[in-house]
Amino acid sequence: MKSLTNGLTIEKLNGHCAIQDQGRDHQQHLGFSGSGAADLYAFYSANKLLSNSLNCAALEVMMGQIQLKANNTCTFAITGADCFAQINGLDIKHWQVHTLYKGDCLTLKQPKNNIYTYIAIAGGINSTPWLDSQSQTYTEQKLAFGHPALKVGSDIPVTHLATGSTIKSQQAGQTTNAQLPESFYQHPLLTLRFMPSPLWHKMTTQQQRFFLQQTFSISPNSNRMGYRLANKNPLTQLSKPMTVLESNKLSKPVCYGAIQLPAFNSPLILMKERQTIGGYPNIGTVMQTDLYRLSQMRPGEQVKFITTTIAQAQQQLATFNARFQ
Amino acid sequence: MNSYNIDITAVSENAVLLEWPEVICEMQHQHILLCKQQILAQYSDKIIDVIASYNSLMVYYHFEQLPLSSFISGLSKITQMGQGFQTVASAENALLSPVIIDIPVCYHPSLGIDIEEVARQTNCTIAQVIKLHSDKVYNAFALGFTPGFCYLATLAKKLHLSRRENPRIAVPAGAVAIAEQQTAVYPTNSPGGWHIIGQTPIAMYQASSHEFEPTVSVGQQVRFVPISLDDYHNMAASR
Repeated sequence: MKSLTNGLTIEKLNGHCAIQDQGRDHQQHLGFSGSGAADLYAFYSANKLLSNSLNCAALEVMMGQIQLKANNTCTFAITGADCFAQINGLDIKHWQVHTLYKGDCLTLKQPKNNIYTYIAIAGGINSTPWLDSQSQTYTEQKLAFGHPALKVGSDIPVTHLATGSTIKSQQAGQTTNAQLPESFYQHPLLTLRFMPSPLWHKMTTQQQRFFLQQTFSISPNSNRMGYRLANKNPLTQLSKPMTVLESNKLSKPVCYGAIQLPAFNSPLILMKERQTIGGYPNIGTVMQTDLYRLSQMRPGEQVKFITTTIAQAQQQLATFNARFQ
Repeated sequence: MNSYNIDITAVSENAVLLEWPEVICEMQHQHILLCKQQILAQYSDKIIDVIASYNSLMVYYHFEQLPLSSFISGLSKITQMGQGFQTVASAENALLSPVIIDIPVCYHPSLGIDIEEVARQTNCTIAQVIKLHSDKVYNAFALGFTPGFCYLATLAKKLHLSRRENPRIAVPAGAVAIAEQQTAVYPTNSPGGWHIIGQTPIAMYQASSHEFEPTVSVGQQVRFVPISLDDYHNMAASR
């Protein structure tokens, strides 16, 4: 038996929080961003801990600093950035399942590492979908489609499982050894494996070597739409000839992970909230499993690039997906 | 129809990009849309989405259900088939919407805030700019940038201008704008770098809780119909 309740209320919020599922990649032909959870590893993990279906919408909290109050009993899993979560002031284990009872408060502090924390609810969040997805896109929020933007006072509707869940949850303050999947993430230097584009193959060996030798740091103006990379050596010696090479090119659809090289700017990696069509020279695409890792990295942290093949990237993604089946 | 080279490139785990020659050409675009239709028909549930632009198609697919090598050879067959059509014109007619969508535009400088500057830069009078813009029937080549933003071409050569050096932070919904070979209507308030020459009082999309219907879809044709400032205000008020 299922019934809808306003399971949680946002009491405090000092950052961004949105409802995310896998996104709406199938609506890009209308101009809508693919959107969806930035870190699918943490997102899927949270749903899997609850035996939810993998695409159940969850809360994606950016940089913690949120307080949620339970209006009813609510079982949840918390994954992603560790925000030193507490229930009613008692520490709870990260990457675990817990239960909130009516009136309980779940508080997240600012994380020391990573960016996004996922709070999945047993049975899922029951927000208003838009074009077959519950994902909220920051840049499209002014269009007022789907569920309204979350803010202090927002109620989060959950599908309440009335028959009592069989999921084992931890008591607040209880100390069992959580299996923290730190091995998935790489800090502070991540090597991004990318599939080269035809433009990459038009570059000289010298140009290619130059690009692969660089260590980039993630620039502060990175967000869910794209990650901008800064570099000590200006990349204009590379991006200017690429712009000339591509100057006759018309705007084309762009995919998740595309590495763009604007002429006088630093490289930009397109992330979940990318636009659907773009016109900058594109030297390749970062493989998706590395993009989940990248999405959790902060400005100032560093990345390098190495080439891979479509076959290897598909293999990695298939293996990744199989872990959650 | 001349045969031309179509590049088919796997660009990510689940995306293949098909690229036609780098020209804005209505015939070629009809072939692109024909291929899009064929891909959707032939692979249906294995396809996530197909996005068309001026000279390209991006195909997102379920890679775990569709091995890349056989998919690419299938795509290659589809593109060749379209090219070989003797009756390409009739295939195109089937795709072409017979209806031309009329979009009323008020070009008054109080709304078309860049029209005086456009006239100056192109050595035209404002009346000439209006005539050049509204005399043509445009083809819708791509939807993107923001939901419902439809790229229309080809603009009269005399009006080709590069994008504004300083993009505006806010362009009002309904703004009719030009840049290079293209023209478009901004469906929502958004940032924008194109030259605003007018304003339409009509909505560029209809949305319900489950559906989003752009006023102009890729492959359709559009004509801009000049209206007076009074007509604009009357139409805007009755919306």
